[in-house]
Amino acid sequence: MTSAPETRPAGSAAGGAQAAPFVRIEGITKRFGATVAVDKIDLDIQRSELFCLLGGSGSGKSTLLRMLAGFEEPSEGRILIDGQDMTGVPPYERPVNMMFQSYALFPHMSVADNVAYGLRRGGVSRAETRQRVADMLDMVKMGAFAQRKPHQLSGGQRQRVALARSLVKQPKLLLLDEPLGALDKKLREETQFELMKIQSQLGTTFIVVTHDQDEAMTLASRMGVMSDGRLVQVGGPRDLYEFPANRLVAQFIGAVNLFDGVVIEDEPGHARMRCDEAGCVIHVSHGITGTLGQTVHLAIRPEKINLSHDRPDAEENVAPGTIDEVAYLGNLSVYQVRLDTGRVIHVTLPNLDRHEGAIFEAGDAIHCSWGAASAVVLPA
Amino acid sequence: MSVETAPAARDRRRFGRNIVIALPYAWLLLFFLLPFAFVLKISLAEADIAIPPYTALLNWVDDATVTIQLTFSKYQFLLDDRLYFAAYLNSLKIAAITTLLCLLIGFPIALFIVSRPPHARFFWLAIVMLPFWTSMLLRVYAWVGILQSNGLLNTLLLDLGLIQQPLVLLHTDLAVYIGIVYSYLPFMVLPLYAVLEKLDAALLEASADLGARPAVSFFTITLPLALPGVLAGCLLVFVPATGEFVIPALLGAPDTLMIGRVLWDEFFSNRDWPMASAVAIVMLVILVAPVMLIRARGNKKPEVA
Repeated sequence: MTSAPETRPAGSAAGGAQAAPFVRIEGITKRFGATVAVDKIDLDIQRSELFCLLGGSGSGKSTLLRMLAGFEEPSEGRILIDGQDMTGVPPYERPVNMMFQSYALFPHMSVADNVAYGLRRGGVSRAETRQRVADMLDMVKMGAFAQRKPHQLSGGQRQRVALARSLVKQPKLLLLDEPLGALDKKLREETQFELMKIQSQLGTTFIVVTHDQDEAMTLASRMGVMSDGRLVQVGGPRDLYEFPANRLVAQFIGAVNLFDGVVIEDEPGHARMRCDEAGCVIHVSHGITGTLGQTVHLAIRPEKINLSHDRPDAEENVAPGTIDEVAYLGNLSVYQVRLDTGRVIHVTLPNLDRHEGAIFEAGDAIHCSWGAASAVVLPA
Repeated sequence: MSVETAPAARDRRRFGRNIVIALPYAWLLLFFLLPFAFVLKISLAEADIAIPPYTALLNWVDDATVTIQLTFSKYQFLLDDRLYFAAYLNSLKIAAITTLLCLLIGFPIALFIVSRPPHARFFWLAIVMLPFWTSMLLRVYAWVGILQSNGLLNTLLLDLGLIQQPLVLLHTDLAVYIGIVYSYLPFMVLPLYAVLEKLDAALLEASADLGARPAVSFFTITLPLALPGVLAGCLLVFVPATGEFVIPALLGAPDTLMIGRVLWDEFFSNRDWPMASAVAIVMLVILVAPVMLIRARGNKKPEVA
């Protein structure tokens, strides 16, 4: 068993690892009957961080969020928020607000009443409530819609109201469950940046749950990938993309070409793997702590592979093949390449020149090549 | 070609739709409006020793002219005699109290059923509806067995030593309330269940998340959103409870004055069909007016929204 190949030191991404964490999740497990939804998760989140929990459906990310909000009690472990143990504290007494995936706006109340709801529960004076509701609605640009009912709003407007409602009590921690899930692509992209602006403006700690890796990469200062109730890897977007801890993270975040390889040389400065699937030897410019003859996974991102008609002047990291198909996406083109070994891989190249047609066309015999710092070695 | 057939197809569709709409109208006409017209007609006649026992509306004079004979004397009598007014009032009072009791008992039951996991809800709903499988008359008679002085309840209380002498339960107003609440409770529970089941659980979570205790959430979220079910349930209980005849007759005191019994007496004891009809018409007006008001409010709502 290889230990994780080159990853960054764990502390570098956390930033203020020395400060006491704002949210501390300690050995949290949640079981529903026989199924384990969340499995022994430990996680620290710093003040004012925008943390994304990324995972597919059923990965336990929403259950973890619901335990932070207090809707579910953990089966084991405990949650501390700002140093306070949250065990047994009901949702209505937690310094936490949540923005629901369905927005959960009260259908019988106007926009203003929805936003004021939390303040009215908290014994805020009438005048102050009115002022804070107005300010919050202005911030999310919904001031003109204060007297509307939720069903008279579009999806994007409801999303803003839900955000205003969850922020108006100035919670220490805001939980967002798939906050942009119901919006169309363009609106989602706009809102992402707005959400980030609001977060940095208010300095509130955000924990966002999403299944959308683009959303997580855009929003998060740090993110955690969940799978089968476990936290697989925690780090900054760049850490997770360039230094995935395992195959699952590599596949979940971004597109990737995965090969199996056998270690044939392992020195402190470099390592070489024989890769029958690619039909060549893959060379990486760092050592791996493995043994000779051991099988490893090799992950190469599509954008890190270069294409050329002529064979590059190298023995290693070169695989000959034929272009099967080309997909033109505007900013870049995706090439589906059938290697001579029969394996199909994806390569993306930017479209730099407006006038030039596709440099490579279907049927072209080409060579794929990549650098020594391109392939990621993952434990098998 | 398809252009030519399109109007024909549309006509056919419209015809089909009209048929579907016409069915309930025909039903209402045949079984509601027509009988109502008959009852209205009878209420405007005089009692007569004849078959049927009332005067005819139209009389032929000399085989040539028709005279219409209408009399409002029965309605006049309704207004003059305090008995009818008291009976109406008492019926409305009993119906109102039982409706309130049904609401207070039915709401927790409906909340309980909704809180069960979906597959278990059917079981609890079946329990609520189970009494419908036996005749209502039998169920009310069963209450006679429970409430009478040597009945189940008194025997139990005596055996437990809680009372020394049997309580007088049967033939009291209390027995009438018990009987009506018991009989009409499902009509309250079912519409409440229907609205509560559709209530998004996330709304209550959002309410708790914003700092509302469960009791506050109930009054600010659950109750307002369940209002259509509350209204439907109250109507379903209130309307039949007002005209209830069997339960006060079997469980009530001889002097329990309810309009259903008055109607029965007029019809069968006095054989005064016009009087009985007038009682029925007035009751209908009293009951239908609030329903119309609520409907009118309900129709206006989407307009505002």
